[in-house]
Amino acid sequence: MANFILRKAEPRDVSDILRLIKELAKFEEMEDQVILTEKDLLEDGFGDHPFYHCIVAEVPKQHQSADGHVIVGFAMYYFTYDPWIGKLLYLEDFYVMKEYRGSGIGSEILKKLSETAVRTRCSSMHFIVVEWNKTAIDFYKRRGASDLSLEEGWRLFKIDKQNLLKMTSEERTG
Amino acid sequence: MANFNLRKAEPKDVPDILRLTKELAKNEEMEDQVILTEKDLLEDGFGDHPFYHCVVADVAAEHQKVEGYSVIGFAMYYFTYDTWIGKLLYLENFYVMREYRGFGIGSEILKTLSDTAVKNRCSSMHFIVAESNKASIDFYKRRGAFDLSLQEGWRLFRIDKENLQKMSAEE
Repeated sequence: MANFILRKAEPRDVSDILRLIKELAKFEEMEDQVILTEKDLLEDGFGDHPFYHCIVAEVPKQHQSADGHVIVGFAMYYFTYDPWIGKLLYLEDFYVMKEYRGSGIGSEILKKLSETAVRTRCSSMHFIVVEWNKTAIDFYKRRGASDLSLEEGWRLFKIDKQNLLKMTSEERTG
Repeated sequence: MANFNLRKAEPKDVPDILRLTKELAKNEEMEDQVILTEKDLLEDGFGDHPFYHCVVADVAAEHQKVEGYSVIGFAMYYFTYDTWIGKLLYLENFYVMREYRGFGIGSEILKTLSDTAVKNRCSSMHFIVAESNKASIDFYKRRGAFDLSLQEGWRLFRIDKENLQKMSAEE
């Protein structure tokens, strides 16, 4: 089963994008942490200022999935900025439905992202992977990825909304 | 010395932004890795589609400790997207010149960024810190930051331009 096309996501794809996001989260045992809605995805991706870009993998109707879906994979990305080297392409999410793996869809998606990165004059592509996801790590390493956390000691930190609100309400001292 | 002003960066601040970026890189012993130019910063930050936003801290002329510089600190950030919770504010760079530390400038910058994050309906602020940078880690932890790499095992990966070109050229 090799028949698929890759295309830029459109507003009508939003429910499939959310479905695939939830499937990927389920795989990471975090499905209940997806609080984003179709409305959010629509506003945030297809409004005046898109906060993300998406490509989707679509199969012909005759190859639709067991529950009738033709959108079988996606990648979500956006542009970030490194003050030393400039623009980067940041790969946020990347998923192909289990039954469609092994047909080169993932490789094709990554190839398309690489083309986008080069065309938009990005210096690199960055992304995070959870350390126990050996399959994904190998997939990326085969394509020349290097682990900056391991090599350079970078750690990802978060300050959540509660703590942001705490800081905004503090009085200025000094 | 408490007199400083935080404001949105303007095109005229680009030389100072580059200067402070290089100073911060020098601290990390990476100064020669800064290949970005003033022209890049101008196009990328102040064109039709800004790839970054910047807040600068400046001091009045009479408080200039270092010859000729009134911009003495900055923070560079942009908006990212988490597929589970939506918009995030990503703090890319954050630096206050050594001579101006201890006056609450850093705290005030972080407060301004927190304001911006909340106003823009961001769920969180994310950033990376080198594990050897204990001072920064403590600074952020005091403000409620937690280490996602340590707690959830996230690792940052990079595919550089050479490998991107290799992939885009494959049949």
